[in-house]
Amino acid sequence: MNDRSQRILIENLHLSFGDTHVLKGIDLEIAPGEFFAFLGPSGSGKSTLLRAIAGFGPLPEGRILIGDEDVTRQPPWARNVGMVFQSYALWPHMTVWKNVAFGLEERRVPKAEITPRVERALDMVGLLELADRRPSQLSGGQQQRVALARTIVVEPRVLLLDEPLSNLDANLRIQMRRELRSLQRKLGITTIFVTHDQEEANTTSDRMAVLDQGVIQQVGTPMELYDNPTNLFVAGFLGSANRLPGRIVTEGAGRVFRAENDIVIPVAADEPEGEATAIFRPQNVHLKAQGEKTDESTICLPGRIAHSEFLGSLIRYGVDLAGTEILVDEPHQAGQPVLPEGADVTACLSADQVRILRE
Amino acid sequence: MAAQSRGQWGAAGAGLAVLILLLAFLVIPVAKVVYVAFVDVNTGGFTLLNFVDFFRTSLFRESFVNSLYVAGMSVVFASIISMPLAYFTTRFNFAGAALIQTLGVIPLIMPPFVGAVAMQMLFGANGSVNLLLDEWFGFTIPFMEGLNGVILVESIHYFPFILINLSASLNNIDRAMEESAQNLGAHGFRLFRRIVFPLAMPGFAAGAALVFLKVFDDLGTPLLLNVNNMLAPQAYLRISSIGITDPMGYVISVILVAFSLLSLWTSYLATRGRDYASVQKGGGGLMRRDLRPWEKVGAWALILFILALVLSPHFGLLLLSFGTIWSFSVLPDGFTLAHYREVFSTALPYITNTLLYAGLAALFDVIVATAIAYVVWRTDLPGRKVLDYLGTAAVAVPGVVLGIGYLRTFHDLNVPIVGKPLASWWVIIVIALMIRRLPYALRACTAALQQVSVSLEEAAQNLGAGRFDTVRRIVVPLMAGGIAAGFVTSFATAAVELSATIMLVSAESDAPLSYGIYVYMQTAAGRGPGAALGVLAVIIVGIATWMSHRFVERTRATAEADRKLAAAAGA
Amino acid sequence: MKRAIRKTACLAAGLAVLLMSGVSARAMEDSLVIVTSFPKDLTSVFKKAFEAKHPGVKVEMLKKKTTAGVKYIQETASNNTSDLFWASAPDAFEVLKGDGLLQKYQVKAKGIPAKIGAFPINDPDGYYKGFAASGYGFMWNTRYMKAKKLPVPKEWDDLTKPVYFGHVGMSAPSRSGTTHLTVETVLQGDGWKKGWALWKGIGGNLKTVTERSFGVPSGVNSGEFGIGIVIDFFGFSSKATGYPVDFRYPSVTALVPANIAIVKNAPHPKNAAAFIEFLLSADGQKLLLDPKIQRLPVRPDLYDGPAKHLPNPFKGEVAAKVKFDVKKSKARYNLVNSLFDVMITYRLDDLKAATKAIHEAAAALAKKPNPEAAKLLDEARALVAAVPIDEAKSMDAQFAAIFKKKRKKATDKVTGRQAEVEQKWDEMVRANYAKAKELAMKAAAMAK
Repeated sequence: MNDRSQRILIENLHLSFGDTHVLKGIDLEIAPGEFFAFLGPSGSGKSTLLRAIAGFGPLPEGRILIGDEDVTRQPPWARNVGMVFQSYALWPHMTVWKNVAFGLEERRVPKAEITPRVERALDMVGLLELADRRPSQLSGGQQQRVALARTIVVEPRVLLLDEPLSNLDANLRIQMRRELRSLQRKLGITTIFVTHDQEEANTTSDRMAVLDQGVIQQVGTPMELYDNPTNLFVAGFLGSANRLPGRIVTEGAGRVFRAENDIVIPVAADEPEGEATAIFRPQNVHLKAQGEKTDESTICLPGRIAHSEFLGSLIRYGVDLAGTEILVDEPHQAGQPVLPEGADVTACLSADQVRILRE
Repeated sequence: MAAQSRGQWGAAGAGLAVLILLLAFLVIPVAKVVYVAFVDVNTGGFTLLNFVDFFRTSLFRESFVNSLYVAGMSVVFASIISMPLAYFTTRFNFAGAALIQTLGVIPLIMPPFVGAVAMQMLFGANGSVNLLLDEWFGFTIPFMEGLNGVILVESIHYFPFILINLSASLNNIDRAMEESAQNLGAHGFRLFRRIVFPLAMPGFAAGAALVFLKVFDDLGTPLLLNVNNMLAPQAYLRISSIGITDPMGYVISVILVAFSLLSLWTSYLATRGRDYASVQKGGGGLMRRDLRPWEKVGAWALILFILALVLSPHFGLLLLSFGTIWSFSVLPDGFTLAHYREVFSTALPYITNTLLYAGLAALFDVIVATAIAYVVWRTDLPGRKVLDYLGTAAVAVPGVVLGIGYLRTFHDLNVPIVGKPLASWWVIIVIALMIRRLPYALRACTAALQQVSVSLEEAAQNLGAGRFDTVRRIVVPLMAGGIAAGFVTSFATAAVELSATIMLVSAESDAPLSYGIYVYMQTAAGRGPGAALGVLAVIIVGIATWMSHRFVERTRATAEADRKLAAAAGA
Repeated sequence: MKRAIRKTACLAAGLAVLLMSGVSARAMEDSLVIVTSFPKDLTSVFKKAFEAKHPGVKVEMLKKKTTAGVKYIQETASNNTSDLFWASAPDAFEVLKGDGLLQKYQVKAKGIPAKIGAFPINDPDGYYKGFAASGYGFMWNTRYMKAKKLPVPKEWDDLTKPVYFGHVGMSAPSRSGTTHLTVETVLQGDGWKKGWALWKGIGGNLKTVTERSFGVPSGVNSGEFGIGIVIDFFGFSSKATGYPVDFRYPSVTALVPANIAIVKNAPHPKNAAAFIEFLLSADGQKLLLDPKIQRLPVRPDLYDGPAKHLPNPFKGEVAAKVKFDVKKSKARYNLVNSLFDVMITYRLDDLKAATKAIHEAAAALAKKPNPEAAKLLDEARALVAAVPIDEAKSMDAQFAAIFKKKRKKATDKVTGRQAEVEQKWDEMVRANYAKAKELAMKAAAMAK
C-alpha cells in the first residue's frame, strides 16, 4: 500500500476564519506510509490544518494533494481520508457495530462484505465482543478503539488523528499510543497525528512538524528537531532549554559567542557576526565541585545554587552564573543528597552541545 | 448527597410555596370540573357510566378518531415546515438566521378570531387564492374545508414549537458527530436522516409532543372552521350550551387531559434511557458552513416559500386592518387608516392590560419555573418531582376547563381590601395566564439550569455564599438566557390567550387584548378595528420576542467567549 | 444585567401597587355591571348616553355570547357581581328565571304596548322586559349571488331548493339563542313534522353550521357563503357598515323582543333600575335607530317620527304570522337544541351527501320521468325528514327532563341519560341518511 497515492502534498496553504488569518503559507510533503505528527500549542493552527486536509472548515487558498489528486475543493465525503475526532464522536443512537458499519454502508459496500469487514476491524481493536453495546456503555479507551475501528474499516487513503489521546488518563494514554503505532505499522497507512504533547509526538511519529501562529516552524524527525531546533520557539517548545542572549564576535583567530554577562562560548569560525542566542539543554550541563578537572572543549563557569526541584528521575537546579540563571538537570540516584541553596558549584558544558540561533 | 441535604430549608420553603400555588390554582380547580364527569346525573352518586356512554356513542368515537388524526397529521406537516427552517438556520451561515428564527415564532402569536377570518379571506372557499385560481384556471382548492382545513391551520400555527425545540437540539449537537459522518462518506439528506435527525430526536420529540397535545386540545381552530366532530369542540359545545348540564362535556375534558398527559409521557419515554448527551467534552461549537451560490438560491427559495405560507395569516390580518370592505374579492375594496384611529382612541386600555397581565404572568412564570427547576434538580427533597410533573401537566389542561374551574373555586372567595370575589378580580386573569404558560417557562428554565455546572455553585458555597445568595448571584445570572427565553414564550403566548380569559373577564376595563378583539369581532363594523388590534398584538409581542432573542444571543456569545477562555486556560 | 432584573422587578411591583390602588378606588365609585350578548356597536352607544345622563356612574359592559352569559351568571350566582342581563333570546331569560337568578322589576315608563305582533313585550311574570323587537330572515351577499348567479330567496322553503346547495350558512340553536328562536318559530309555525322537514331541507343545503350566531353574518360579509339565516339587525348593521349585503323577512317569522332583566342580588340595584328606565324612555329608544344598531323600537310613536324608514311591527308591516308560545318553547328548549345538533350539526356531512343525491335524482327525473324512481325518491325524502320523536313526546315533561339535569330535590328521579338518548337518535339518523342516499342514487340510475 505504500505507493504514491498515499502521499500528501500541501502547497502554500492559507486559511482564514473571517478576518483571522489562521494558516499562513503552509508547505509540506508527507511521504506514503509515514506516521507524521503536527505539534504545537493550542491556537497554533495544527487542528485547523488537519481539518483542512479532511475537508472541514473554510475553503483554503493554495493546494492540498493526496496522491496526485487535488482535493482542495472536494467535499469531505468525497476525499476518502479517515479522521478520528478528539471527542471520538461516536453516535449515541447506534450500537458499536452500527457505528463501525456506517462508513461501509455509505460507500454502498454489499451487505455480505460489510459483516466480515466490520468483524475484522473490531477484532483488530479487540472489541468484537462489545459489538452490540452502545457507546455510552463503553470506557474512554474502548470508545477510542471504536472510533479507530470505524475509521480504518473503510480503508481510507490517509488516517488523521485529532488529539486522539487527550481524553484518556495517563497510563491508558501510553498504552494507546503504542497500539496506535503498531496498528499504523501493520496497516502501513499514511497517518497524521495532531497533539500538543511533545512526548506523544516523539514516541509515535516518524517525522513531525512544529507549528506556531499558523506557520510551520520546523519539520524533521523528533530527534532532529530536539537536537537541532532552527528557532527559539522550537527549542523552547520541545523540552526545556537554556537561552543566553548575546553576540557573535571575532576573537583572536576564531569567533566566539559572548553572552551579556561575559560568558564566552567558542563557535565555528564561519558563524557570522551579530546578535544571537545560545541554546543548550539543562541535562547537558554538569555540576562539578570547584577545582575538578575538565577537558578543553568544555566551558566551565563558577556559579551558585539558587534553587532546586526534585523531579523524580532527576534534580533540576537553578544556577546563578554571574547574574544569569540557567537550569541544570542532574540525574538522581538513591541516597544522593541535594546540593543546598547557596552552595558554590562549577557548571560545565561541552561546546558541541550549544546551538546558536538568530532571529 | 449528604452535603445537599444541608441548608435546604430555604429550598424546601420555596418548594412548598410552589406546591401550594399549584394545588390551589391548578389541581383543585381542575378537580372541581373533572369530578362532574364521575357523577351520576340521576342519583348524584359516583359512577363510571358516563365514560361507558362516551365510548358507546358513535359520534364521540368518531370525534376521538378525528382528533387523533388531526393531531397526528398536524405533527407531520409542522415537522415538514420546521425541519428546513431549523436545519438551514443552524447549519449554514445565513444572513437572516435571527430574522427567520424570530419570524418563525410569529405564527404562535395568532390573535384569536381575526386570525381565522384573515385565513378565510385568503384561503377560504371564496378567499383571494381560490378566487384567483377560479378566474385563471377554473378550479378551486378546499384549503379550509373540514379536517384538512384544521390540519392546515394548526400546522401553520403550532409548528414553532417544533422549530424552537429542534433548533435548540441541533445547536447542541457536537459538530464532530456530523463531521465524522461526512468523513465516512455521508452527506446531504442521508447525513440528516441517519445522523443529524436521530441526534436531534430529544428536541424533536419534545416539540412534536407539544404540537400533538396543543392540537388535540385546541378549541379555537375547529370552532372557527365550524368543524364539530372533534373532541375539544364537542366538550366546549356541551359545556357551554344554555341550561344543559350534560356530563359528557366534562367526560370529554377528562379524556382530553388524560390523552395530553399520555402524549407527554410518550415523548418522555421515547427519549428516556437513551444517551443523547451529545455535547461531549472537547466537542466544538457549531459547524456553520457557507452555502454555494446555487445552494443559497435554493435554500432561500425554500425558506421564503415556507415563510410566505406561515406568515400569510398575518399578511391577511394586515390587509384586513387597512382594508375598508373586503367581501368576495381578492383584495379589499379600498384602504384606510380609520380602523387604527378607532383602536387608538378606544382600545388603549386593552393594550396596557395585556402588557400588564402577560408581563406579570410571564414574570411569575419564570420565578416559579426557576424555583421548581432548582428544587427538582439541585435538592434531594422528597417528592420534588411532583412539582415538575404538576408544572408540566398544566399544558394538558384546556383553557375552558381551567376557566370554569376558577369560577367554581374562587367565586365565593372574597379578596379583602378590593372587596370583590377573587374570581372577578383582574388578578385571577394573571394567575390563569401564569398557570397556563408555566410549562413553557419551566421547560426553558430547566434546560438552562441543567447547563449550569454544579461545580460553579459549589465554588460559590465554598467561598461562603449561602444557598440563597448562590442562587441569586451565580445560578440566576448564568441561567439568564434560558430565563429570558422562557419569559418570551410565556409572554408571547399569554398575550393572545383567550380560552381561559374569556371565562374570567368580569369587567371590560379589566379586559386584555384578546378579549377586545373578541368584542370587536362580534359586530359587522368591528372587523377592521379588531384586525388592527390584532396587528398591534403581533407587533408588541414580535418586538418583545426580538429583543429577548438579542438578549439571549448576547449572553450566549459571552458564554461562548467564557468557554473559550476556560479552554485556553486549561490547555 | 442583574441591575436590569432588579429594575424590572421594581417596575412590576410598582405597577402592581398602582393598579391595585386604581382598582380599589374604582370599586368605591358608583358603577353598573351589565352582562350582555350585544355587540359593541350597540352597547357603547347606550353606555355613553347613560353615563352622560348619570354622571359618576361607570357602566361596565361584559360581553359574552348568550349561552356563555347564562353560564356565567349561573356559575357566579353564589357571589353575584352582575347587575343586569341584557340579551336577545327570551329563552335565555326563561332559563335564568327558572333557576331563580332574576329579580322582578316594575317598569315606570309609560307608552309601551303589551304586545308586539303576537308576542307579549314583557315577561308576564314581571322578571324581564322587552326593549326592542327583532325578526328573523335571510341576509345575502350581493356579489356572491351575482357571481354564482343565484336568485334571492323569499321564503324559508326557497332555501331547500337545489340551486342553493352549499350556499347557505346558519348557526345551531344550542349555541345561539337567536337561532333557537328561529328554529322554534318555524317548528311552531309549520308544525313539528313539517317544520323539521324544512330544517332538514335547509340543513342539506348548508355550507356550514357556525359556532356563534355572529359567525353567520360574518361569513356572508366575507363571501364565505352567500346566504345566511340571521336576526334582522345583523343584516341591517352589516349593510350600514358598507358590506355588499341585503336582508329580507320571510312571511313566517316571529317578531320577538330583545330583553333586559335585573340579576338577583344585584350589587347596584338602583343603577340597574335607572338603566332600564333609560332604555325604555323615548330618548333611549331613539338610540336604537343608530345606523350601526338598527333595531325596531318598542315605542309605537317612534314609527311616525324618527323610525319611519323601519317596518312598523305594530301595524303589521312585518308579517309575523306565528303566535310564538314561550311556554312551549321553554318546555322543550334543550330537547330541540339536542335534536338539531344530532340531526343536522353533527351529521352535516351525511345529510349533505343524502341531499346532494336527492337533488341529482330529482334533476334526472325532471328530464326523464319515471314513476318507480319517483317513488324511491319520495321514500328517500321521507327518510331524511324523519324525526326520532313526535311532538307529543317533545312536550312530555318526563322525557324533556333528561335534557335538563338540574335536580331540584334529591328525590327528583329521572330515568335515562342524555348521552344514551342521543346515541339512539344518532344511530337512526345516520342509518336514514345513508339509506336515503342509496335510494336516491338508485332512483337517479333508473332515470338514466
